[in-house]
Amino acid sequence: MQGDASDTVLVVGAGPAGLSAAASIAAAGFRPVVVEKEDVLGGAPILSGYAKLVPSGEWAKDAIGRMVARVEQDASTTVFKGTKVTGFEGEPGDFTATLSNGEHVKAGAAILATGFTHFDSINKPEWGFGTYEDVLTTTQMEQMVAGGKIFCPSDGRVPERVAILLCVGSRDRQIGREWCSKICCTVSTNLAMEIKELSPTTDVFIYYMDIRTFGLYEDKFYWKSQEEFKTKFVKARIAEVTTSGDGRLLVKGEDTLVKRPIVIPFDIVVHAIGMDPNEDNPEISKVFGVGLEKHGFIDRAEFYTSTCGTTRRGVFAAGSCYAPETIDDSISQGHAAAARAIAELHALARKKAG
Amino acid sequence: MANYAEMQQIFDDIRSDFRYDHELNGCLNCGVCTATCPSAHFYDYSPREIVQLLWTENVEQIYDAMQEKIWACAQCMTCAARCPFKNSPGGLVAIMREVAIARGLQSAKDVLRPFGRVMLKLITTGNQLSPDMIQPDHFPDWGPNIQKVEGDLKVLRKAIPVKTLQTVDTAWEVSLKTSVEMYTIWEMTGVLKSLEMMDENLFDVIEDFIDEKKEDYEDWLEEQDED
Amino acid sequence: MNPTDNTPGNHNANGDGATKPGFHNTDGQGIAGHGSFFQETNLSREEAVKATDWVRKHVDRRTVDLGDRMDDIREHMWELEREGEIIVHRITDAHKPMTVRTLFGWEKKIPTNQLWHHKSCGQCGNIPGYPTSLLWTMNQLGMQPGRDYLDETDQTSCTAWNYHGSGIGNVESLAAVFLRNFHQAYISGKQHGFDAGHFFPLVHCGTSFGNYKEIRKYLIESAELREKVKKILGKLGRLVDGKLVIPEEIVHYSEWVHVMRNRIASELQKIDVSNIRVTAHVACHYYKMVHEDAVYDADVLGGNRTAIITSVAQALGAQVIDYSTWYDCCGFGFRHIISEREFTRSFTMDRKIRVAREEANADVMLANDTGCVTTMDKNQWIGKTHEQNFQVPIMADIQFAALACGADPFKIVQLQWHASPCEDLVEKMGISWSETKKRFQEYLKEVEQGNIEYLYNPELAYGGAQ
Repeated sequence: MQGDASDTVLVVGAGPAGLSAAASIAAAGFRPVVVEKEDVLGGAPILSGYAKLVPSGEWAKDAIGRMVARVEQDASTTVFKGTKVTGFEGEPGDFTATLSNGEHVKAGAAILATGFTHFDSINKPEWGFGTYEDVLTTTQMEQMVAGGKIFCPSDGRVPERVAILLCVGSRDRQIGREWCSKICCTVSTNLAMEIKELSPTTDVFIYYMDIRTFGLYEDKFYWKSQEEFKTKFVKARIAEVTTSGDGRLLVKGEDTLVKRPIVIPFDIVVHAIGMDPNEDNPEISKVFGVGLEKHGFIDRAEFYTSTCGTTRRGVFAAGSCYAPETIDDSISQGHAAAARAIAELHALARKKAG
Repeated sequence: MANYAEMQQIFDDIRSDFRYDHELNGCLNCGVCTATCPSAHFYDYSPREIVQLLWTENVEQIYDAMQEKIWACAQCMTCAARCPFKNSPGGLVAIMREVAIARGLQSAKDVLRPFGRVMLKLITTGNQLSPDMIQPDHFPDWGPNIQKVEGDLKVLRKAIPVKTLQTVDTAWEVSLKTSVEMYTIWEMTGVLKSLEMMDENLFDVIEDFIDEKKEDYEDWLEEQDED
Repeated sequence: MNPTDNTPGNHNANGDGATKPGFHNTDGQGIAGHGSFFQETNLSREEAVKATDWVRKHVDRRTVDLGDRMDDIREHMWELEREGEIIVHRITDAHKPMTVRTLFGWEKKIPTNQLWHHKSCGQCGNIPGYPTSLLWTMNQLGMQPGRDYLDETDQTSCTAWNYHGSGIGNVESLAAVFLRNFHQAYISGKQHGFDAGHFFPLVHCGTSFGNYKEIRKYLIESAELREKVKKILGKLGRLVDGKLVIPEEIVHYSEWVHVMRNRIASELQKIDVSNIRVTAHVACHYYKMVHEDAVYDADVLGGNRTAIITSVAQALGAQVIDYSTWYDCCGFGFRHIISEREFTRSFTMDRKIRVAREEANADVMLANDTGCVTTMDKNQWIGKTHEQNFQVPIMADIQFAALACGADPFKIVQLQWHASPCEDLVEKMGISWSETKKRFQEYLKEVEQGNIEYLYNPELAYGGAQ
């Protein structure tokens, strides 16, 4: 048996949200027990090999790496890797979690930082992913950027024209994904600049329904990508991606501002993939006894006075398990959830002391 | 030109169709419908424009679109398969066409006149196209090789090894009872009435034909009783 | 090189530009960025591959969790039956069904036996080799007419061509026609000594297929519509126990061809078609109308496009060639092919025939619907006047399959009704066009004498004995 319910908080998931939660709990003198189903810590930015993060411009491995190190080096923190929570019993102040490695953990509160699953482009087959080698996802393109050379996977040539399609797996009722994934616009403008910088002869076109580079990202990404990197924005949703006889990709859209259907050749087409609910959410919901909202993300408690709550008392949540979320905001939410958990333990201790 | 109240009435007819809310949920103005639209490649027609006009309740422009534009749609329904909002622009056009006919718009009459042959065939026989309609003189643009074997149409049709297909003036042989059942459907669903509104002469021809067939059927039924 | 402003997000800028939140220098030189300042992510090749593995992995689309947000209308159909509202015409073991997957991974049962042929007006009137090839193939597979399938005169067309073309007609009339024809399919076995439900409707036309599925959806969703058409069907004597009959699945003939493709190839194929370059045109009304019901197969086109047509062509061993306008409509347009012919022929020549010729150098374009075959077949000659002198033989998947299985190009496949250069394909398959044509012309003399060969006893068409 690990932990002591009076000062232990179970943190499920070690991505940006989980790592920040664990750090806050430890800094406040409590004991975090971190359970991560993968063999490495860091969550999506590490597991999927993100390149540079928005908005810092820092490499994921450096930025998230510091968060990982902070948690791993903390003496009061226990970390289980390659482990899942399979049972979760008890009540606030006295929970017992059963882990897949057979261990039991006593904890006074729990924080779900279980994240999301990338949308799999194979589910939007008319956009050519899985059919044509030169159709990639943003994640694959980030890998290419990280490799330092922009080329067509099919034959290695330098692309003259790259199209980035926004809202792949987002804002699409046809495939049951009605939400906006929040980060793809900014990530894509950033990617467009990175491509242009590495490959100055490559022109980048972004096909969009709306551009949502919210807050300070407007001029730092959206405007800048146009003014300095000559990224072209076309207000059009692509209908289909096919290939022409010469091997180039053809995208079919309507330029809605000039109101004409267009068919345009490209060398690479990039899917700006969205964020799905974690594919394990049905299991997570069952194990922790928390509800899911209609899209399949973790359901939030009343927000104003029960921030970071779920439908079960004593179980908190943070980050992209709630909804598509940025890395920065996931980190903030991790700290907020930690504060809620610690406050709960304090309150229970005071109550016990009478 | 209709006055505003009439145009409003036409719009009300459109949106009171029970399919309307099913086919129109809003619009993100993404243009995916127009991108895939075969008619948009050829005509001054855009399914996105149709959706926008309906969504913003622009009754004057809706009325205008109903004169010509809605007849450009090829009804392939690619738009509906692609729309991220699950609208069906093609389905909305179908509703608008029904309303144009119900209201007896002159433009609808003009557009449908050359289609009369198919309607005549359909309403009277339950088939929409027959071998005798596809003769070289009807479709000169289909070229001289419309058939690869010369010969009498009747004989060529007899050489089809399926009994029901050995016909000339229908695509397949439709039993009399089947035809009469279909006339009942036309009558009970108001199809004959809209046909009358569209083309009175065509309607007269069809009515005579139907009456004749019905009499034949009555006679046949009597024969059966006697047997 | 000195830090400049010209890097994304001003990563390298001094002064004002360096005040971005969260910015950290990581390379010890106050610089982090791309270009000449490129810095590795420090992922090893293995790590990098692993990091993007999830996108390379062919995750079966059929695992997409749509929750309650995507409705399967068939579930509501069973509810209606439980509530006593309708009777569902079931696909039983006797129909020897095979299960396929559709767009979202739902299962669909395709009956392979005891089929009621729901003919297509455009096919029968214009491309008769389409249905005859289908019936011939069924015979070759040992199916017995009158027991394993039925073709009869008690059927109307779906009337959707007219509706989509003219707007004359309405949901009620379309629904009444649907229910009338499918009621006839339901009871048709009785006059041949079988129970009701013996024959299951097999829809030949793509538009009928799409239209019937749309109408079925409206019927299941709208009690008001059911009430209205019940009156009509009652008057026609086409209710069963006072209820409407709706089939468990709406099944297109090309789905039958899809599930039978391996049997067709292994048991019937006589001609090697590995030298034939095939392009596929799948009908819009097959896979875009009520598109969640179209067949997808992980082993055909990676499951990324509907399997129909491609699957049978591949099973027969032909080369299937992709082309850029694969998704495009043929240009049929319902009314357009009759009275907007310039649109139809321009579109089909520019977006289909020219592309299949120039990009794919196709020996044949296969389609699975009436209007598409007609449009692409008939509009090639006029292309010459548009400076589009391109020709490609056009036929249905089942016609091509029948040819490969040794069917007579004239007597069975009835290619004499096609305007496109089908003789070129036939010759390439090693069949002499001129000799078979000569034999056919001799047969026509026999026909004139009344010596006609049939695929089934003609009496069956009128409900007669087997």
